[in-house]
Amino acid sequence: MIMRNWFIPLALAVLLLLPPLLSDFRIFILIQIIAFALYAVSFNLLLGYGGMLAFGYATFFGLGAYAFGILLVKVGAGVVISMVAAPFVAAAAGALIAYFCIRLSGIYFGMLTFAFQMLAYSTFLKSYDFAGGDGGLRGLVIPGLLGTPKGIYYFALTVVTLCLFLLWRIVQSPFGIVLRAQRNNERKSLAIGINVDFHKWSAFVISSFFAGVAGVFWAIANQSVFPDWLDWRASAVPIVMTILGGTTSFAGPILGAAIYVILQTVMTGFTEYWALFMGCLILVIVMLMPQGVIHLFERRHHA
Amino acid sequence: MLAWLESLSWITDPVVIARQFMAGLANGMLLFLVASGLSLILGLTRIINFAHGSLFMLGAYAAFSAVGSNANTWPRFAAMLIVSAFAVAAFGIAFELLILRRIYRSPQAFQLLVTFSLVLICGDAVRLIWGNAEHAVSELPTQLEGYIQPFGVTFPVYRLFLVGAGMAVCAGLWALLYRTRWGILVRAATVDRDMLRALGVNVGNLFTAVFALGAGLAGLAGGLAAPIVSIGPGLHAQVLTDAFVVVAIGGMGSFPGSFAGALLIGQANAFGILILPQMAIVLPFALMTVVLVLRPRGLFGGRE
Repeated sequence: MIMRNWFIPLALAVLLLLPPLLSDFRIFILIQIIAFALYAVSFNLLLGYGGMLAFGYATFFGLGAYAFGILLVKVGAGVVISMVAAPFVAAAAGALIAYFCIRLSGIYFGMLTFAFQMLAYSTFLKSYDFAGGDGGLRGLVIPGLLGTPKGIYYFALTVVTLCLFLLWRIVQSPFGIVLRAQRNNERKSLAIGINVDFHKWSAFVISSFFAGVAGVFWAIANQSVFPDWLDWRASAVPIVMTILGGTTSFAGPILGAAIYVILQTVMTGFTEYWALFMGCLILVIVMLMPQGVIHLFERRHHA
Repeated sequence: MLAWLESLSWITDPVVIARQFMAGLANGMLLFLVASGLSLILGLTRIINFAHGSLFMLGAYAAFSAVGSNANTWPRFAAMLIVSAFAVAAFGIAFELLILRRIYRSPQAFQLLVTFSLVLICGDAVRLIWGNAEHAVSELPTQLEGYIQPFGVTFPVYRLFLVGAGMAVCAGLWALLYRTRWGILVRAATVDRDMLRALGVNVGNLFTAVFALGAGLAGLAGGLAAPIVSIGPGLHAQVLTDAFVVVAIGGMGSFPGSFAGALLIGQANAFGILILPQMAIVLPFALMTVVLVLRPRGLFGGRE
């Protein structure tokens, strides 16, 4: 098991003590890893635990980011309210979208999430008045200490750690067990009286809330929001991270997010054609390591 | 509101309506070529090919490679179409044999990632091979150049040619699927591939052939579109999303559904731009959402 007792305190200690030694660029990368780790774990609540593959998952990350940006610079709601309200906007969208999607399964479920995502994408792309259109929203600056790279870093680390702890408790709770039960066998779960639709819907709403939190931090780190974050290609990112790390454990997507962000950073600095390498890498991993990278660690511990 | 109503004055103008209708028809035909292949592959293999737009893009690039910017004689023009269709079909065969074949039984997320990795690879590969600049096939045989003006409607000859070519391919595809033994096998495998395998049919070969056919159709569409689009690395995106919309509206795996869906989306795009210039690109996705919510199997999809 990678989640040994000493592992989490050690990782947190390193993450707490590291930043003073790092350049702002490296801190930015760490913030990205932290935000994307939450993004990937939220996604895996649906895929790994719930058995639901949403092609259009970037909707909730993007809506969280957009809600934050619009509240901050268009509505003028202030930093605190914008930050707190944005994930609830994402969750509300999740509640509505899930209401329609959970009745479908497999490809149809995925395609409907794709449709909602493209609906959101095309709407924001053309909404110049309140969302900045194709240029997105810029100037999402947080004043004071929290607006500095280190401030954002510690803020994101604190909130994301808390969110991950909550998600961990959720998947360990009876709710999480039922979620896995319906994934393994929906008909049996129905037969023993489980309200499968309600569990799927709730998981979807919880998942979109935390994806929204991740989106807010990504918007803060970039000081902007772009419609590309809602594009269909953006939805591949959580899938790539989750499969890279592995869907079968809670920590897998976190590892996947770290690998994805580091690889992307290294490769974009190294070549203009990083997408080519990323594509080949995804192919190799899917073909050779279907259990995800975290499986390597787990096997070594068992041996 | 009043200004918007005034902007709708074209409704009484038959010339505008005819022009938009024909433009929508031509684009709908191209879309049909892409979507029908996507739908066939989806129906048979249950794999959603996110790289289908990339295959269309490869077709356009292959056309450019075959003739440069000059397809001004019929042999050159024909060579352009043949190269784009067959080069992309060959690429499809290689992809199916080397990669896709190994993941038919894998979880859906893996299949999605594999086709998505192809999107990334194709996107960068065309930049490596053909550069970042946009290319164009600008010269056509003289008979395909210019405009005709029936009833005062100015219409490019090449778009008419596209409608005719699309109709011809559609008829051929229909005959292939509904009038040959091979077509019966494809449709049977779409319903129950395991039963077909048990009956002694080599389903693996069928999958390869259908993937090649779908890729070839996308490539052909790319070749046909080469003279009217700018051939660049971003060419795949809108084609893919439009094709997804068509497949969802028509019903996944349904051949008549792809046809009707493509014509519908062609018209929705053509008239959407007049009715709601700002929000036209929202319209196809709104249609897709409504159809999937009310009739998940699509307008032409049967029960599964």
